[in-house]
Amino acid sequence: MSGYQLTIDDYSKQNSSKILKKIIFYILLIIIIFLSVYFIIILDTDWHRIGSGASILKQLSYFIGLDVKIMPHLILPAFETFLMACLGTMLGLILSLPVAWLGAKNVTPLGAVSFGFARMLMTISRSVHEIIWALIFVGAVGLGALPGILALAFRSVGFISKIISENIEGADKKPIEAIKAAGGSGFDVMYYGIIPQILPTVIGTIIFEWDINIRRSAVMGLVGAGGLGLAFFRQMHMSNYPGVTTVILFIVGLIVIGEILSHYLRKKII
Amino acid sequence: MNNNEIYKRNNAKNFIYISLFFFIIYLCFLYLGIDFERFFSALGRFGSLIANRYYPVEIPYVLEPGYLGSILDSIQMGYLGLVIGVIIASVLAYFAASNITPSKKIGYWIGKFFIIFSRSIHETIWTILFVTIVGFGMLAGTMALTMYCIGFFGKLFSEELENVDMKLVETIRSNGANEIQVFAFGVWPQVKTAFTGILIYTWDVCFRASTIIGFFGAGGMGWYLKRNVLQLEYARTSAIILSIIVLVIFSEALSAYMRDKIYKETQ
Repeated sequence: MSGYQLTIDDYSKQNSSKILKKIIFYILLIIIIFLSVYFIIILDTDWHRIGSGASILKQLSYFIGLDVKIMPHLILPAFETFLMACLGTMLGLILSLPVAWLGAKNVTPLGAVSFGFARMLMTISRSVHEIIWALIFVGAVGLGALPGILALAFRSVGFISKIISENIEGADKKPIEAIKAAGGSGFDVMYYGIIPQILPTVIGTIIFEWDINIRRSAVMGLVGAGGLGLAFFRQMHMSNYPGVTTVILFIVGLIVIGEILSHYLRKKII
Repeated sequence: MNNNEIYKRNNAKNFIYISLFFFIIYLCFLYLGIDFERFFSALGRFGSLIANRYYPVEIPYVLEPGYLGSILDSIQMGYLGLVIGVIIASVLAYFAASNITPSKKIGYWIGKFFIIFSRSIHETIWTILFVTIVGFGMLAGTMALTMYCIGFFGKLFSEELENVDMKLVETIRSNGANEIQVFAFGVWPQVKTAFTGILIYTWDVCFRASTIIGFFGAGGMGWYLKRNVLQLEYARTSAIILSIIVLVIFSEALSAYMRDKIYKETQ
């Protein structure tokens, strides 16, 4: 029994070593903060160029005000951004169905090979930023709304297919077995057994992703796809700062509309 | 009306809906000026672009000390932006949680407004704005990431704060505690684990954003990406994209490990 006895001395020793570890951890974190402050704010920043607080305020004051004249020219790009988000999400859903099918452990056709392949596709899709996807697709299919749609679709595949495959894995097995016992094929199992179970969650996920895609599609124009990003880019390069503020207000308005719509739709489904 | 007729009518209805759906998509394509030939050949073009231009990946480029230093820059920007952003966002989230906010009329709306505002503007737009204000460099990137973290962390954390058990909070308040004591002993113990989890998740997302914001003038890896994209150096571009993927996978694995550990410790 003596081996299992925990004396007060032992306990306090263990506890103090734990506390010591914690203290070292926090000190390390603080040292990293100081290092990054040193590198970023002292070494890398050109304080001379920034000047005093007054010049920053002056720079900021350029942005105050609205450019009413460009407002009518922003309505069509805003609509284009909205459509890009819708079509991108739809295409993303279509592309993510086969990936989700391969990436769910219980229905994947080739075992570990196809499972690993699908997981790799999901990770690549999620870890490449939408701007990089847009750059690649602008190179592949040229300027316009199409590279934006494709970039949004490829970026959404990772998230949507991950959620769908997780739902397929967690689906109730009883209806699946019943369909199998009645002689249903693999397609029957998928269509009658699994899809009705996962549909509500999947629709919720798609609405959520659509909401995020509106935000993303507003910046696609910065690298050559159309929409409000292009208008922002133009105003910025013309140094028309009130125009920049106007475009930002349009973007915020569009996103707020999208958020309200998605909130309403999700409530309706659930 | 027998079953057969109902079945036929439903079929016809479905057919009309589906064709209407495709017609609307067709109209969208016409409106956006998308060439159908281009759309259906997009995947092929994408594949041939990857295979012909991006494929011989110039791995030695990403192992040069200059590029490795820029990775460190990106990590530092992300870290500092995260720390400042989380500190500001915690305060804002405290005000923006409808159940524990100290002032329901003014503070709630101010907190909510700032969180929604910084959330609805994409991190690249923040970067461009800050670059025009404070100039090129890592300071602008840090500020942009701070705004990004405020939006992201603030939303998740204020939702977490709204879900706390109000009975405990009321008990402490009825014993005569002031607002700070209520937060420290009533609210904080309930959201401690969630705070750490959201913090790690925010770090993950913030690091992903910090790899790209250099593209618009903040420091870090994004600057190298922009240079090589503009110079049409496809082999180097693909090497940089590959390095970003590897780093993101690494940070994702690390954060998954940390979250798992914290989850186990609290159980």
